[in-house]
Amino acid sequence: MAGTLIGDGLTVEGDLTAEEEVVVNGSVRGKLTTTDAVSVGSSGVVEADITGVSLSVAGQVTGDVTASERVDLQSGGRLIGDVKASRLTIADGASFKGNVDMDV
Amino acid sequence: MPDGSVIGPSSVVRGNVRGEGNLEILGRVEGDVSVTGDIVLGESAGVRGSLSGASITVAGQVQGDIRGSEAVLVEGGAKIIGDLLAPRIGVAAGALVKGNVRTEGEAPLGAGRRPVTQGLRSPSFAQKPVPAPAAAPAKAVEAPRAAPSEPEASEKPAAKKAEGERQAPPPVVPALAKGAKAKKKKQRE
Repeated sequence: MAGTLIGDGLTVEGDLTAEEEVVVNGSVRGKLTTTDAVSVGSSGVVEADITGVSLSVAGQVTGDVTASERVDLQSGGRLIGDVKASRLTIADGASFKGNVDMDV
Repeated sequence: MPDGSVIGPSSVVRGNVRGEGNLEILGRVEGDVSVTGDIVLGESAGVRGSLSGASITVAGQVQGDIRGSEAVLVEGGAKIIGDLLAPRIGVAAGALVKGNVRTEGEAPLGAGRRPVTQGLRSPSFAQKPVPAPAAAPAKAVEAPRAAPSEPEASEKPAAKKAEGERQAPPPVVPALAKGAKAKKKKQRE
């Protein structure tokens, strides 16, 4: 499956809207919206509000996150912003600063 | 290591994309794209903005200028409204291009070929694309000039041989006003 891959060294400044999986190993500044999964690789830097089905963070994310299913903050990952998702995991070694709304 | 990037078929970027490595665009970009590597625009791709990269291959639609430091290759079915600029440019049959096309820039194959290709380029560009658009405005501009300004008008077209020879006669003949002006002069004198 193709999806969208923002590779290491590439920068997107602006809104990125997709109906497919988005993988960010580079950087995105602005807004990131998809109807599928979002994955931020260890080299990825996202300074944007993220909306998607699921989010996996191994890199850095600054912005509010809304996921209809789940957010996984992996070891080494760094997330600064509010999280709204029904499921959230924060791995040992991850950094997180923000509020969590699990829609209880 | 800069890996290849992909903007998927259902993805839309509103903003600029820049950076290192290769980029494949299958979706839409409304903004400028500038990368150090190659750019491939798939058939489903659409870009409204300029494209800048090493080698740029276009099979989709672009509304904006395309500048390749190595090459620009336009495939059949592509639709481009904008200028093309690269040392090498290829346009396949079936491609639609509306804009200025120039093969120039740093040739990657060494300086030896450059004088030859430049020598061939300049006259062919002077003859083919330039006259078509330039001829029409030139007539419109020179005709009115010839009528009001008196003796100088007959000198100007003569100096501009290529353009003047064809265009001079029609305005000069009705400029029989010359005779009238000469009479006026005589009257003044």
